[in-house]
Amino acid sequence: MNNPHHLNPTSLKSRFTTRFLRALTKIRAQKPISSSSPTEIFRRYRRIKVAADKSMAYSVRSRRIWSRAMLWKLRSRSYRRQDPCSGRRSGKTNQAIMKKSSNENTTTRREDGVGFVEEADELRQLVPGGETMNLCNLLDETAHYIKCLTTQLFSPIGKG
Amino acid sequence: MDVTLLDRQQATYPLELCASSVPLFQSYLGSGPIVELKRPEAYLSGDGFHEFVYFPVGGGTEFGDSEKLNLVPPDAAPGYCISRTSSCQMTAFHAAAMKEEREDMILEKMESTPGSGSRESFTKRKAEVVADRKSKDKRIKGELEGESEVKTKCSTQVSRNSSKENSKACEVRKPDYIHVRARRGQATDSHSLAERARREKISKKMKCLQDLVPGCNTITGKAGMLDEIINYVQSLQRQVEFLSMKIAALNSSAEFNVENLPIKELPSYVANFPAAAKLPAMPNLTCFQLNSMQKEAVNCMLNETMHPPLTATEGIASASVSIPEQALSSSTITQLQPFSTWNMDPQGLYNLYNMGFH
Repeated sequence: MNNPHHLNPTSLKSRFTTRFLRALTKIRAQKPISSSSPTEIFRRYRRIKVAADKSMAYSVRSRRIWSRAMLWKLRSRSYRRQDPCSGRRSGKTNQAIMKKSSNENTTTRREDGVGFVEEADELRQLVPGGETMNLCNLLDETAHYIKCLTTQLFSPIGKG
Repeated sequence: MDVTLLDRQQATYPLELCASSVPLFQSYLGSGPIVELKRPEAYLSGDGFHEFVYFPVGGGTEFGDSEKLNLVPPDAAPGYCISRTSSCQMTAFHAAAMKEEREDMILEKMESTPGSGSRESFTKRKAEVVADRKSKDKRIKGELEGESEVKTKCSTQVSRNSSKENSKACEVRKPDYIHVRARRGQATDSHSLAERARREKISKKMKCLQDLVPGCNTITGKAGMLDEIINYVQSLQRQVEFLSMKIAALNSSAEFNVENLPIKELPSYVANFPAAAKLPAMPNLTCFQLNSMQKEAVNCMLNETMHPPLTATEGIASASVSIPEQALSSSTITQLQPFSTWNMDPQGLYNLYNMGFH
């Protein structure tokens, strides 16, 4: 793929851009271009949004808690859509996994002793997978998440 | 030879001394001493004797009247006080270090002073020892000991005693813990130290986040910072959604080369649309130049972002309901209320959408 603007082929930006472009071309190939009703646009918007999330999460792999949580969410959603029966099964196993991880870490309502419980909870809802993090990890994950979001917005695709 | 030495010791220090002083010691030590007070006789055999003899006299005034208890080496007091605190990790090796020193001192004393003649030399030492002891005890009693305090004491002992073994023991056997300097006037037990370390880590991370989030240099205080961070993350997420919506809209209308899709070329795409409406170019909002059709899509997307639990069908149904433009304009304006938390100027946003409808 010719990407003259990318300086570092292994950087997060280029990884995300290539993946996202691939997904976009796939989406464009699926639907006829002439349809422009709001419903179609809406559906395509959803698909593109999922593609953006997915390509970002795959670019980060499993190195971050939020990317793992996002990938798990996407996978469980796709399983449920494809096959309702298997979705139920995988949903159960995934729920078991999530419960185990949350029990390992601690209860969701955390008193960190620092006094920012409400704001911390709000932040946990924003960052994917944030419910199972203590404040320390939450701040790390937030910083990385912000960095990835800005990469998404300022990628050469023209988003920003 | 050791047996005769012990016999001499037994003769010099009558048992009544031990018996009478033990209750005093016990009452002084109070609760939870590390070093147990055994029966005095046990101390008279072997190494245990050293521990008994060199039990300190915590406050010199209490035992000042009894001369018998002058036999305290210079650094038994800190050794005792160190062993007193239970949370210090250096107790074991410090006690060992003290023991080494004491043994050396004892041998020295025992050899040089036979019998009762030892009293004079001991009294001589007593003067310097008492002064030394009192100052150390005051300092030690005033504070609970943390690892750092023990370290500083160790270094001062080095300077005072100038004994090589002591310094060696201090330097060689450092415990591999996270070293937190206990500040003046603050509690130094392990729990508060850990708490303080955690809080410092968190504030360090908040500083890093402050660099990432633009425009929060003026805000001091963690709560305000967290609010700013939350707003910023929310705005970034919404921007991503809007931009993906823009791509979806453009995708549907025209052929375009995805790789070369800079913002400046947008007006040309907008012109190709059947019901194009030229919008004023706003600095941050060039990506929001859309036609009315796409505004309906925006409407249902707004619905979705405002009420996330909506499924796709619900979103589309609500969009179809609000097709008439007047209803559209009013509903979009009311939906723009929650956007006041955006970093963008909400008034500018209102203007954009208003002008788009006419």
